Amino acid sequence: MLGRFRYGYVAPAVLLVAGLLYAPFVWTAYLSFTRYDGLESPAWIGLDNFVKLFDDAALLTSTRNTLIWVVGTMVLPVGLGLLVAVLSYDIKGGAWFRVPFMLPYALSGAGLAMVWSPILSHDGVANRLLGVDTAFLQDSPYNTLAMLLVWTWQQLGVNTLLFVVGLQSIPKEPIEAARLDGASGWRLFRHVIWPLMRPLTAVVVGLALVAGLKTFDIVWVLTQGGPGRNSETLAVTMYKETFVSSDYGYGSAVAVMLTVVTGLASYLYLKRQVTAT
Amino acid sequence: MIRRAVLVVLGLVWLGPTYLLLVNASRPADSYDPGSAWIPSGDFALLENFASAVEGANLSGSLASTALYSVVSPLLGVVIGALAGYTIVVLRLRHGFWWFLLIFGGTVFPSQMLLVPLFVGYSDAGLYDSRAGMILLYTAINVPLAGFVLRNFYSGVAFSIFEAARMDGASTWRIFWRIYLPISFTALAAVFILEFTFIWNDLVFGLTLTQTEEVRPVMTAIAGLMTDVYAGTPVPVGLAAGLVVSLPTVVLFLATQRLFARGLALGSVH
Repeated sequence: MLGRFRYGYVAPAVLLVAGLLYAPFVWTAYLSFTRYDGLESPAWIGLDNFVKLFDDAALLTSTRNTLIWVVGTMVLPVGLGLLVAVLSYDIKGGAWFRVPFMLPYALSGAGLAMVWSPILSHDGVANRLLGVDTAFLQDSPYNTLAMLLVWTWQQLGVNTLLFVVGLQSIPKEPIEAARLDGASGWRLFRHVIWPLMRPLTAVVVGLALVAGLKTFDIVWVLTQGGPGRNSETLAVTMYKETFVSSDYGYGSAVAVMLTVVTGLASYLYLKRQVTAT
Repeated sequence: MIRRAVLVVLGLVWLGPTYLLLVNASRPADSYDPGSAWIPSGDFALLENFASAVEGANLSGSLASTALYSVVSPLLGVVIGALAGYTIVVLRLRHGFWWFLLIFGGTVFPSQMLLVPLFVGYSDAGLYDSRAGMILLYTAINVPLAGFVLRNFYSGVAFSIFEAARMDGASTWRIFWRIYLPISFTALAAVFILEFTFIWNDLVFGLTLTQTEEVRPVMTAIAGLMTDVYAGTPVPVGLAAGLVVSLPTVVLFLATQRLFARGLALGSVH
């Protein structure tokens, strides 16, 4: 009696996940070995798409940009988030000091672009404020760096929040003991607080690593990977190769590469964290 | 003292763009000038600007669609995921852990690995550019997280509840629907909020699988205001649109903050 319905109960979940997540995943892996334009059936061409990956100047640029995004997101929003958290977590009215950093988190990718494009544009607010005439979103790799700063502006708040929660939950005793021993400021942070915060930092940095590799939305809405193709990330390149150039096979190969890199990076990162602790 | 000074300076830098957003989203559409962007306008035209964004880009259809997607898909997703979690834990499905891994494994795929087959498959199946297709996909994306959280939650519920209900002759479905689903309300709500936010902010699936203004999710439509060279949207109109469409997720989050924290804690503690 019990057994009869059991498989029926997991069926909706399994069918949805298998049909809309697993099957496309496997299908993309297959397509990466084919020439395919979406109209005629896919033609098997072995490793040609992957060979082309290594010989594609645009892909080199987007790999470099993705690398900037990865390193940048692991350093800037996380580092500054930690700084704001450490400065504010135990002072009176700390939450109020954090409000300015939380507000931008409310905006999503498209809203974010709305705010920054008039600031960064040629005749925009930033140029007038700084008294310069810079094309922030034009020259590579500076346009990627500019977008990275925009991203930092948005993401800092959520990292701060995570670190504040972490700081408030670490044991008070070691900190009190160190204070009594005369430690304060940088030394207190470096030798007492930081070691206690390491596990949480590892998680936050790990999340930033994966998010950095998958960067798409902000680039798409601010530059669409341009001008030309000089601010593309791997995720943007995948989208453009597929849906702009109709090269589904090559687009799939880029997707596979992105997946392999993400998997490998996460694995190595996790392994390092496990051996380090 | 130095700590406060650093926080204030950094905070002011961070407030700058927020200030520009608020001031310029509220000024009359034709009065934007980058030179005087810092000076607030005497007129408050936020709602007019949003109205002209809705009208110009025909956002009303996409707003309705997005509202539909972000409510219906997480609802379906949490119930389907909860049912799977209930079956695995409470009904003790054979090889339950592997079924769980299969369902939860759905979270690891980057969306880029899904786009081509979804686009081609949806076109063949007549689901391209349809609301049903979007609801179906978003539901599938929600299932793994719902299954994960609810499996954890139900592992912490005393099995005697189930046994007692069986003694009283209740069917497994009735026990799920009338007992297990209601007691996991906070966990369900936490997952719902996360998924609502994900769908509301989704750009790439909307970009790939929709075309018409009525079906297209609002973030994709808004991105179109920016990226479409022919749109030439006035800055205040774009800002007002970006501001107003960001509100629902903020309001939902603020309104349910407590519930949210409690729900996630329940999901992970047990």
